[in-house]
This record gives sequence, C-alpha cells and structure tokens, in this order.
Amino acid sequence: MPIKRRLIYICGLLAYLACTCPASAQDAKPDSSALEFFEKSVRPVLVTRCISCHGDEKQKGGLRLDSRAALMSGGESGPAIVPGKPMESRLVDAINYGDLQMPPKSKLPAVEIQSLTKWVEMNAPWPESLGPKTGATTSTGKPWAERKKHWSLQPVADPALPNVKDTAWPHTPIDRFILAGLESSNLKPTHDADRRTWIRRVTFDLTGLPPTIDEIDGFLKDTSSNAQEKVVDHLLASPRYGERWARHWLDLVRYAETSGHEFDYDLPDAWRYRDYVIRAFNADLPYNQFVTEHIAGDLLEKPRCNPVDGSNESILATGFFYLCEGTHSPVDLRDEEAARIDNQLDVFAKTFQGLTLACARCHDHKFDAITTKDYYALSGVLKSSRHHHAILNEDNEIKPRVAALDELKSQVVAAAKPTTPPLKSPAPIAASKDVVVFESFNTPNYQGWNVARSAFGNSPTGTGDYQLSKEPALVPLKPGLAHSGRTSPRLHGSLRSRTFTIEHPFILFLTAGSGGRINVVIDGFEKIRSPIYGGLLVDVNNPQPHWQAIDVTMWIGHEAYIELSDGATIDYSGGNSRYSNGSGDLIVDEIVFAKSPGEPGPVTAFSGPKVPITDPKSRSLAERYRTLESQLPAPIYALAITEGTPENDRVHIRGNPRSLGDVVPRRFVEAIDTSASGSAPISRRDLAQKLVDPANPLTARVMVNRIWKHHFGEGLVRSTDDYGAMGQTPSNPQLLDWLAREFIRSGWSIKHMHKLMVLSHTYALSSAADTEGDKADPANRLLHRMNVRRLEAEAVRDSVLAVSGRLDPTMFGPSIPVHLTPFMDGRGRPGHSGPEDGNGRRTIYQNVRRNFVAPFLLAFDFPTPSSCTGRRNVSNIPAQALTMLNDPFVVAQAKLWAERVSKNSAAPDEQITQLYLTAFGRPPSAKEKEAAIAYIASQTKNDKSAAWADLCHVLFNVKEFIFIP
Amino acid sequence: MHCGRYHESPLSRRDMLFRCANGFGAVALAALLNDESRGAEISTRQDPLLPKPPHFKAKAKSVIFLFMDGGPSQVDTFDPKPRLDREHGNPIKMKVPATQFNNVGNVLKCPWTFKQRGQSGIPVSDLFPHVAKCVDDLAIIRSMTSNFSEHTAANYFMHTGSGLQGRPSHGSWVSYGLGTECRDLPSFVVLNSGLIPPGGADCFNNGFLPASFQGSVFKAGPSPLANIEPVGAQKSKLDLLRTLDGETVSRVGPNDAIESAIANYELAGRMQAAVPSLVEISNESKATRDLYGLDDEYPQARLYGRQCLLARRLVERGVRFVEVLCPNVGADRWDQHSGLKTGHENNARATDRGVAGLLKDLKARGLLESTLVIWGGEFGRTPMAQGSDGRDHNPFGFTMWMAGGGVKGGTVFGATDDYGYYAVEDKVQVHDLHATMLHLMGMDHKRLTYRYSGRDMRLTDVHGEIIKPILA
Repeated sequence: MPIKRRLIYICGLLAYLACTCPASAQDAKPDSSALEFFEKSVRPVLVTRCISCHGDEKQKGGLRLDSRAALMSGGESGPAIVPGKPMESRLVDAINYGDLQMPPKSKLPAVEIQSLTKWVEMNAPWPESLGPKTGATTSTGKPWAERKKHWSLQPVADPALPNVKDTAWPHTPIDRFILAGLESSNLKPTHDADRRTWIRRVTFDLTGLPPTIDEIDGFLKDTSSNAQEKVVDHLLASPRYGERWARHWLDLVRYAETSGHEFDYDLPDAWRYRDYVIRAFNADLPYNQFVTEHIAGDLLEKPRCNPVDGSNESILATGFFYLCEGTHSPVDLRDEEAARIDNQLDVFAKTFQGLTLACARCHDHKFDAITTKDYYALSGVLKSSRHHHAILNEDNEIKPRVAALDELKSQVVAAAKPTTPPLKSPAPIAASKDVVVFESFNTPNYQGWNVARSAFGNSPTGTGDYQLSKEPALVPLKPGLAHSGRTSPRLHGSLRSRTFTIEHPFILFLTAGSGGRINVVIDGFEKIRSPIYGGLLVDVNNPQPHWQAIDVTMWIGHEAYIELSDGATIDYSGGNSRYSNGSGDLIVDEIVFAKSPGEPGPVTAFSGPKVPITDPKSRSLAERYRTLESQLPAPIYALAITEGTPENDRVHIRGNPRSLGDVVPRRFVEAIDTSASGSAPISRRDLAQKLVDPANPLTARVMVNRIWKHHFGEGLVRSTDDYGAMGQTPSNPQLLDWLAREFIRSGWSIKHMHKLMVLSHTYALSSAADTEGDKADPANRLLHRMNVRRLEAEAVRDSVLAVSGRLDPTMFGPSIPVHLTPFMDGRGRPGHSGPEDGNGRRTIYQNVRRNFVAPFLLAFDFPTPSSCTGRRNVSNIPAQALTMLNDPFVVAQAKLWAERVSKNSAAPDEQITQLYLTAFGRPPSAKEKEAAIAYIASQTKNDKSAAWADLCHVLFNVKEFIFIP
Repeated sequence: MHCGRYHESPLSRRDMLFRCANGFGAVALAALLNDESRGAEISTRQDPLLPKPPHFKAKAKSVIFLFMDGGPSQVDTFDPKPRLDREHGNPIKMKVPATQFNNVGNVLKCPWTFKQRGQSGIPVSDLFPHVAKCVDDLAIIRSMTSNFSEHTAANYFMHTGSGLQGRPSHGSWVSYGLGTECRDLPSFVVLNSGLIPPGGADCFNNGFLPASFQGSVFKAGPSPLANIEPVGAQKSKLDLLRTLDGETVSRVGPNDAIESAIANYELAGRMQAAVPSLVEISNESKATRDLYGLDDEYPQARLYGRQCLLARRLVERGVRFVEVLCPNVGADRWDQHSGLKTGHENNARATDRGVAGLLKDLKARGLLESTLVIWGGEFGRTPMAQGSDGRDHNPFGFTMWMAGGGVKGGTVFGATDDYGYYAVEDKVQVHDLHATMLHLMGMDHKRLTYRYSGRDMRLTDVHGEIIKPILA
C-alpha cells in the first residue's frame, strides 16, 4: 500500500479507536448468525492457516491473530484489520497477495479469502466469551541493564603496573603485565630470539619487507644498549612503514576501487584515499585527528593541507564512506539505499568502535546493548550527508585565481562602461496546484543549495553581471541564473538542491549550456544509467535557452535532490567510469515541478547583445583576464562526503524500508553516550567528537588492540572487530586498558605505540615451541613465546620484488592496472591488462577491482572487500603452492634475482650465502649450502644461468620465505 | 542455535598430545584460556578439507548445479499456461510490479508446444526434447521465488543466500561442512563454458570462510587452470625444496603451520597430475560422445556436452560441488529481453543434450543416487512481453528442478498463478532450496554455521525450510 494511503488509513484508524474505546469493544454485540459465520468459516481458517506463526507460541512480525483485540492492535507494521473496511485492512491485502503476502507459502483458496473479507466487512464479529488476549511479547535475551555492564562498555581503567616475581625480566611496562599474566598461571617466558630473527621480525612488522643485508649487518655490529631502538626509529621513519600500515587500515574500510556487481564500475580517484592513509601513518597523524577527518574532514574550519601541493588533505579521509559496493540498475531504490547505509554503518561501527551495529538494522541486537533506534539514529546522520566529488585544489589554487579574474572583470566593466541597459527577468511563472516553482534563482545567494565550488560562483547572476567573451566583448547576463560559465568555461562545479519528496510527475528545467548535466538523484542513488534510470540524467548541449523535462512518474513519493553539474559528476560505464567533461557551461533559470511535460512559461534570452570592448585600457585588462584564465589549473577530484539536507530517519520495521516506524533523532549509541537521548540532533562533526572523546570506552581500546594484533599475531581481544558479547574477552584486560590510556596520554601517537610494543622483551621472545608453556597454554594466549606468522599476500609479493631487486620504491599515484590472465573472465573486465610484475611497484599501489582481484592475492587470503576485516584468515591451500611454483610472475622474478646475484661473479658458495642473506636474513647452514651447490652442479645440461634461476625459484618456495619465526 | 561441532578450533595432533600428557589440570587451564573459543576457527594447523562426517546420514555425496545464467522462462519450459494462449496480444489483467526495464507489453504466449512426457506425464515444452525424456527423474519446482529483479543481486542471492557481494558461495559452504573425498582436485569446481554470470568471481568465492573453500573456476579447453605445469619437469626442484624445507623445520622447531604448508605442496603436486587427465576426453567411446553430444553440429552444444561429461568425471572422483556455467550462444545468455524465440532456442539447443546425457550417464553408472543435480536460473521471466518479442525479469515465480540424490523423480511441486507470474502455491524461497540441498547432503542448515561479524552465519541466514514433498 502506498505510504500516503497507509497514513490516511492509520489516521482514520486512530479516529476510529478514539470513538470506540476500549479497542477490543465491538460496536454492537454481534448477532448469533454473525458469530456462527465466524465459528464456521473464519476461526477454522485462522487456526489452520495463521495461528502457528501468529498465536500463543510465535508472534512473527509482532502479530497475533487469536483475538479481535490482537488483530486490531496488530503487529509491527500496524493494525491487521479495520472492522467494516476490508479495503483498508492489511490482513485482507495480505491474503490477496498485495504488498504483504500471507500465508507466505501459498495463497489461500479463493473461498477462504472471501470468508475473511466478508468477516471484516461484517465488522469482524468475535464472541465475547473468549476474552481479549494481549498483544505480542517480543523481548528476548539479557535484560538491558545487564548488557550495558559488558566489559567493553565500561570506562577504560588506569591500572598500576603489576608486581612481578622476576623483576629482572621486564624491560618495559608491557612486559610487567605480560609477566604478571604468565606468573599467575605458573608460566615463564621462553628464551629470547636471536638478533637476526628479531631484526627480520621487526622489519617485516613495520615495513612489510625483509631487512637488507646492510641493515642486518649494521644491527649485528651495533653493540650499544639502544641498538634495537635505533633500528625501530629507522624503520618508523622509512616511507615503507606507511605503505605497510596503510594496507592494514584499508582492510578495515573494505578498500576497493570499483563498485563490483554487474559491471564493476570504477570509483574514480579512490586511490587518493589510499595515499591519504599512507601519508597519515608516515606522518604519525594523531589518531584522534585521523578519526575526526574520516567522519567530518569536510567540515573542519582549518583542514590540513597536502604537504606537497597544498591541496585539502583532511577531506580525503571522508572518502571511506563511499568505498562500498553499488548495484547496477537496482529495481528498488529504497532497498538499495538501505543496503548502502547498512554497509556504511557496519564498516563505521566495526572499524572505530568494534561494534556490530548492523545487527540492529532489523531488530534490537540479540546480545549487545545496541537498539534498532541506535541504528536508525546513525542512519539519519548518513542520510543527512551525500556523496561528493570534492575538488581538492579549490581553496589553494582555484579560488584565488577566480577572485583575481572576477576583480579583473569588474575593472573591465568599470573601464569599458557598457551602455546597454541591463537585462531584466520576465514575469514569474504562474504557479498552480499543477505547476510548482521549485527554484528561480532570484535570491541574492544560492539559499538552500549546496554549492560545490567555483564554477557557479557564490550567487546567481545579479543585475549588471557580464561574461567576458573572447573578442573581447562584454556579454550582459540576465539576472537570476545559476551559471557555471560566467567566469570561465574551464571551471568545474555543481549545485545540489535540498532534499524534497517527489510529488509531481515531471521536473522541468529552463536551461542552456554545453557539456552541462542535470541529475535527479533519488534515494541517494547516483549510478544513474539505463536501463530504468537513464531518464534521470539530462545532458545539456544546447546554447539556446530551452525547457527540458525529466519524467519522474515512477518515483512519486521518493526522496530526491537535483544536481546541476558542469563536470563534478561521473559517467558510469564499467571499467571506464570517468568524470563527465567539465569544459563548457550549464545555465539554469527555472526549475519547476509539474503535472505535464509542457512548457510552463516563456523562454527568454539568458544574455543580451555583446558590447565590444574597444578602449585600449579595457582591452589590455581583458587580455590579462584571458591569460590568467588559461592558467586555471585542472580540478583534482576526490571521493568525499558533504552535507545534505538534515533529516532524521525512521525505524525500518524488521529492516524493511517500506515499513516505517518511529522517527529517531540523530544521535550516537546510547550505551556509549549517556547524553545521547534527549539532546538536539547531532551533526557529523558532533559524531566525530563523540568517537575521539577520551571518555569513549572503545575508540582507544579498539585501535591499540589492532596495533597489538599486527605485532603479536593475535589481538589481546582476538575478535578485533567485535567487542560485544559474541566477541572475545581480553586475554590481559589490565594491559589493554593500560595501552589505551597510554595511547591517549601520548597524544594518540600510533608510532609511540609501535615503539612500546616492539621494544618490549615480550616481542623479543623466540617463537620456537616451548614444551612447558605449550602444554599449559597451547593457544599461546598469555604469550609465553612469540607466534610464528605467515606473511600477508602483499608482503609475499613485495618480498619477491625486494629480493629480486625489481622493487620500485615510487610512492603514490593512480593504481597500476591489474594484470589480467585468460582465466580472469566476466562482465566489467577492463579493456587492458596491466603489467605482469605491476611495474615492480608495491602491492598497495595495484588496482583493487572488486570483480577482478588478482589471483596471487586471493591465494594468500586477501580479504573480500565487503566489510571491515581486522583479522584476515590465514589458510593453507594448494593455490598457494601452485602460485609460488608456477605463476609466471614468480618465475620471472627468480630469473631476475639470479641475474642480479650472478653479476657479482663470486664463487658459488659465496653466491649462495648472498641468496640466503637476501631471502632469509641469515647465512645458509652447511647442509643447505651443500644441497644448493649439489643442485647447481647437477644441472650441467642446462646453461648455468637457468640453474641459478631455478635455485632462486626454489628459495622463494622455501617456507621460511613466507613464515616469519 | 549452533552445534558444538563447529565451535572449537580444531585440536591439532600436537595439542592433543600435550593435553593428554598433562592431565586434567592442563585441560582446565586450556578451557580457561580458551573461553572465547566459540568461533569456528579453521587454523593453518589442520587441513580443513579433510572429509568430515555429516550431521546425519546423507542421501547425496555431491552436487552438480547446472546454472542457467540469465533466467530461463518458466512458461516456455516447465510451467505451461493456457491462459497466455487465450489472451495473447492483450494487456495483462493483473497488477504488474516495477520490472527491470519497465517496458511492459502485452501477454505473450509460449512459442513452443508442451507435451506430456514420460510415465509421470509431466509436461515439458519442445525446447528440451532430450531432457523431456528424463522427466521421470526430475522433481520440478514451479513455485521458486527470488528477492531480486536484477541479475547480479539475484546471482549472489542464488549462490550465497545474500544479495550483497562477498558472502560464501553454496559450494564453499558444502565444502566447509563436509570437506572433500577427492584429495587431488579442489572440492568446489566451477566449469566455465564461456559465460561468467554477472557478479563474476564473487558468485563462487569463499567470502568470510577460509580460502580453502574457494571455488576453482576451470576454463574450457586443454588448460583449465592457471599455474598447472607438468610435474616431471619440476622433480629436481621439488627434491631440493624438500631438503631445504627440512632444514627450516629443524631451525624453527616443530610448527604445525609450516608443516602443513609443506604438506600442501604434495597436494599441489597431485593436482598438477590430476588436472590434465581430467580434461583429456579423446579416449571416450562413441556411445559416450553421442550421449553428451560431443559431435553435435552446434558448437555450443559440443562445448556444453563436454562440460557435462567433466562434471560427471569430477563427481566420480569425489569432488563435492560442481557448477556448470552456460556457453555463449551469441544472444545474451537466457536473458531474452527481446528475440525470445531465437534466444531461448539457441540456449536450449546448447544445453539440452548435455544435461540429458549427464542425467542418463549418472544413472547408468549408479551415480545419480548419490549426486544431486540442480537446474535453474537466478529468476524467471514475465508472462507478458517486454517490447514485442522478449520477456523481462521475473523473481516472483519461476521453475527450477532437482534430480538424483534423494529427490523424488516425476514430481511437480508448487504452482504459479494462471499467467505464470507469481508463485501462489507452496512458494519456495532460495533459502528453502539451499536448506533442501544441505539436507540431502546430510547437513542441518541451521547447524552449519561460521562465526563472523559477531554472528553465527548460515547459508540460509535466518530462513530456510526443507522442501519435504520432493524428497524420495
């Protein structure tokens, strides 16, 4: 049933209830024939068809159908019947398989449908004697107050360092906590790892690459007491550090550069987000600032600037919201919007808070203190925001030049003193019920519009505005236009309207332009493309003013906004989705909602006759204008978020966007933020503040645990993304809290946390099996020894490149296209394959296409970019062996490596030592050397270089290459 | 909610020895330390593909899913609707929901003739002359429904039980639940005949399950998999590798993950040996070639027939889950938005002989009893035309069939309305199909869970009912 009708009928029902209280009472006592009809034809249907799901035992949808009162109070989607009015009764709609379809498996026989319909029409007679039963009871699980006592929701404690028996062992506070834990279980830490193992371990951990021979030698020779610290400082200062740790972060935000689904549309410039994260880690950007920029980087008064080009850095972080998948032509846009927001909230809540908030989309969380209202309170925050194509160099490069151009133009006008009378607006369009003027741009600014950057200026054209044309001449502009070309056709930008509900079948635009575009964005759906949605996009390529109609009949009742764009929007086309051409201009005079597509008003010229500029002074000013204009830099686009029209969302009953419940004001999760209820609706800025508030019990805990996980193999909380009741409890709660406090004390310095962890004695322990400890703690939760770890997919590939000598340390920039093998097939396959070796660049710079993830990475557990992954799987599959044995990339790198080593023409046993030092950070044992020499010697039939390449290839396959002890 | 079987992280041999040796105290401490061990962690320490016992006695050991990409029309294949003939060319007399292309034409009759077939007398249209002969082995579900009108979401839904990208495929779930009896081939194989369905690789991915359960997509032709090389040439390298790996182990000390990775190379070696012989079909008899249509005059029928033959060989070798994809017949899969007649005829011609050959061959070899064959697309098609001669997507009522492995042949289950638009009798959801499939494989779909994202995830989410009337 359409929402409107539903509302009318609910209002009607309320009025009805008001006059007939109590609700269970019947208008008049039903006569016996009516009751007989009920007993004979209605009750049996209810009992046999409905009660198993809507009775005493189960109340699906919160509905029970075993009393008249229950039918009338209904379930989650409202009352089931309106006595006397079958057409308004949800029950009747459902059994006729309308919006709801009940019973779900099979439609009732026609005669039973007739009986129930007739019964409702008869005012739903029901015998009094049976007495009214109460409505549904739905509460399950632990009481709310209990849930709020869950450990992770309690304030972070400030534990003192524990006392330990063995006071000599601890080097750092971390060691005190670890040792205390071990001692309380009567365990001891195992022996230390050797120095070669330590430097290999810490180098992989911090940079994702093996240490070089020189780095190892330097460390081994350094006998100073802070030799380890020097290594760590060196590694943390290396640009390779950010490349390593950014990738861990990208796992959390399901980083990908395409939308997946049928055509795998590009998300152009998503890589700028990746570069942002690398820079942030390398610069040790305080984590509270990092979080703030993710949530509200577009709203900061003083955004950070890119250190190299001065462009807006902070806004880049917000792109993470839109790294989600997106459907090609979904039939139901409300479902699509709900699914998108679900994913955004899921990633947001797990990444920053370790909360499985998305579980509360359809029902209150089954285990945690998270309500459906919490979910929709945050959904409102996202609904109040929009996807945005930010222009990063707007403030630092474009704006000052536009100001200079505008100043020059006013000087030209002052000098040329044009005499043409300024143009005036014609009489306004006659409004009526069927013709509603949405916008005429007759206000002194773009009131109610989101102005995305310079092209459209700060206001619509006013009286006495001119364009400066090439001749040179001044072109008088009609006042009251949104005009993207009045300063320069080279400028890009967009105007977005407030959100409105579509009530008329047509939106009409009085417009002109070249290369301009008008989009109607419905329910936040932007991948506008045929089929279905092609009509919501109009390319404006006619310089003469004309009326243009967009047919929105299909979407009456939906929420929408209008986007007027000159560039700054995307043409979605599979592997070639690009920004639309921003040269030219778009001019819009009127926007009208109408019942029919006909022209609602006259068309008048947008500009008057040109006034040639003749005097030399004006001509020279105009000349300068042209020169400056030609130097306008191209826009640098980035994925970002921006403010939309503030709105509160409504609870979607059972997650169904067509079944709406209470309005929930925008707020944070109540169990964390005690001030949440009752306060004014929050903005994204407020939300960021609530995350980085030192009193937030989760933000610091979740992040220090993520860092811990990557250094020690497992988190103190092993379920890194779930701090709820279904997650795991911390193995060392005091340590977790101490680290969280220390993190905040340090000014949220991630590098400080690295140093604390990797310089601990615990980190320096050997990973070798330790009989005593392993007996008592086989899962090594208390860390009596170090864990052996397998390298992640990226580190495996990067190590191959580093060892072969092919690694190109170039940082940043557009991604290297994925190398396509004949085995990678399907829709949205890019037209061109990338290089087999990815140009030697680190894996983080390789294009991540949702539908074409590189098989090499997949084999080594690269996570599906669908939700937050704080803890990757570590599997052991034949594809790993087959990849290392046969992938042409690995074979080619082995050859390169062999060539590199053979250049130093040393004796074979010297060369083998070099190979071992390069690949494993240690010299070979006698047996290893012997086996390798024997192998080379046995390959006499081949030429020697092939034998060495084969040996190098074997070394890539030795388990020590990918397992770090 | 979930059975204990999938809770504990599997004990390795070494863990077991430690625990036994150390008596009750150590077990108690281990329990204390492992209070979190609810997640079904598959660690690197044990081969997760080792065969596992089902929840209860299974009817079927393997599944062959014949995926009819694009959505074949139910009213033109297995669900005859005389009303379409009567009202051909007239506007449809019912409420029509938004369709994918929203270009709603008039009622379009079936261009083919239905005949009653076999002993059961179940009608099948002339599109499938060969499959029609097997009708007594089929349980035809005429009341399938899906939740999505758009290909990709519907494909993900059919394959993973969710319309979103990135969930584990049904083949991954089955492999996770049962492991595999085939030690030299992957447990979940997708035979690509030329058309990868919209949504691509994520129809066959392991999602949040470990990569061991990934579907392996085999290309048609002599080299089906990447990175498979003749084993002989590698022998000396593998020998050296074994020696050097041995040294690593003695340096690092005993470690399950490293030892498993070494053992993994043995499996990879067996796979390299097994794959070439799997796809070598030159030695098949004339009878087999005829049965599968390997010499059919239509090249796509030859290709698809070969894939069906490979499917049989795979289940014969103990592979757990095989999905066969459609060949490219020039038109757009089964997705006939226009040109229904030519398009459906080509698709039927490409697949009919192979499918029938597979059913007959499995039966003749006694494999049909233990192999569940499932046929169908991601949705069906509208009874009214799109434009003049096509049909649009219809997720509200369509046909799929099952055969073999515990299914009652010669059955029709469920019904659509008089137009064949909506399922109105015994509606079957995709979750029900999955629940039934798992049931026949000996698994309770409510107990096959994996802890992810704070939930015990299931192929059937929170839904799914077994379609009991079609069980033998």
